[in-house]
Amino acid sequence: MIKFFTLFIFTFFVNAVFAQYKLVPDASSFKSEFAAVSSKTSSISADFTQVKTLALLSEKLTSKGKFYFKKDNLVRMEYTSPYQYLMVINGSRVSIKDGNKTSSMSGRSNKMFQQINQLMMDCMRGTVFENKNFSVRLFEDADTYLAEMTPVTSQMAGLFKKVNVIMKKGSFVVGQVQMFEPSGDYTSMNYSNQKINTALADALFAIK
Amino acid sequence: MLYSRSNNIAFCHFNLSKANVKASSFNLKLPTANWLFAFLIVVLSSCAPKAYKNLQQTDGNADCLQKFQLKYERVLYRATVDVVGNHLSGVLLIKQMPDSSTRLLFTNEAGFKFFDFEFSKEGAFKVYSIIDKMDKESVKKTLQRDFQLILMNKPLGFLKPYKFKIQNANEHYFAYNEGEDFYYYITKPDCSQLLRMERGSSTKKVLEAFVSDMKNQVPDSIRIHHINFNFDISLKRIYDSE
Repeated sequence: MIKFFTLFIFTFFVNAVFAQYKLVPDASSFKSEFAAVSSKTSSISADFTQVKTLALLSEKLTSKGKFYFKKDNLVRMEYTSPYQYLMVINGSRVSIKDGNKTSSMSGRSNKMFQQINQLMMDCMRGTVFENKNFSVRLFEDADTYLAEMTPVTSQMAGLFKKVNVIMKKGSFVVGQVQMFEPSGDYTSMNYSNQKINTALADALFAIK
Repeated sequence: MLYSRSNNIAFCHFNLSKANVKASSFNLKLPTANWLFAFLIVVLSSCAPKAYKNLQQTDGNADCLQKFQLKYERVLYRATVDVVGNHLSGVLLIKQMPDSSTRLLFTNEAGFKFFDFEFSKEGAFKVYSIIDKMDKESVKKTLQRDFQLILMNKPLGFLKPYKFKIQNANEHYFAYNEGEDFYYYITKPDCSQLLRMERGSSTKKVLEAFVSDMKNQVPDSIRIHHINFNFDISLKRIYDSE
């Protein structure tokens, strides 16, 4: 009973957070403006805080790190707390460094990583509405846009119930990615200290 | 999925003599097929060396083990799992729930859940979720037994003590069994230190586990090593911002 009550409170809280957003019926002007801004974005670096909420366990797992993106498809995701873990996407190659162990990624368990970063890359490149794994609805409040992405493929539906990407109006910088899982668990990636178009050395996107 | 606990549990105090048996470790580099992993666990577990054939019953009881029982409210471990050429990493959460059950939840760094297990207050095991790749009875049974050994979640007072004769050894064995599965806790003769834990049958060892740097009955690190095939679990305590 307590678990169901906790889930109810959690669901109520999540719904309350998004109650302020209003649907944007025609996203065409957003898309053209978004594409124009994105075309001028060549790199981004940011701090991130990842919070996974385990609804039925009343538990939050928090980790922090650095995120780097360089056009077209270079991503570095570096967890620094409470553990060291590094993932680099370089084109089609995905490499991880866990302690002294370096390896390539594969398997369904890493789909979540790849999807998080695919969404980030889609946002940087302005192609978030073209991701064929999701149907997208656009919402807005005074300061931000919220792209609500609902999986349309069974593979993606197994990972996510829906994903929200929240961007600042004007700059279209992603501030938060929220991932809701079928189980009721919820992961929030919060980005801060974003820096656009700073020089990022290619060495950042290589694991040795 | 619920595994009920056997009521036929005996608690014994063993002494090991001439038990310096070398484990025949296999160094397998094999494909990742699910059936093969399950097959390896079942078949190789039966190939274990006879490590316990010289154990003899001696006097004593299990009360001194109480100080080694792990006490978790909420603890996080950085976890790495190496199994037949595959490497998994992530975070293992061990949490005591309000109903005194213990939950073990293993996620990768992005938060993707590998498994979510529960041991009830009475020791019953329940699988809340597990990824398809690991969703095999043999895999779940192995993980259940491994974590049951580590958590020492059998109440000592509930178990019947047996006394065994000590011969020529610097190690004392405490053991209980559930059917053919035996769980061993090995201490110094004066029970001042828990040297390691082992799991197997009445004669064969299939696993050994080590805990280190205990602080308030919570170890800083735990290492689980399966003897007969490459399946190692390494846990290092981490502290998040909670």
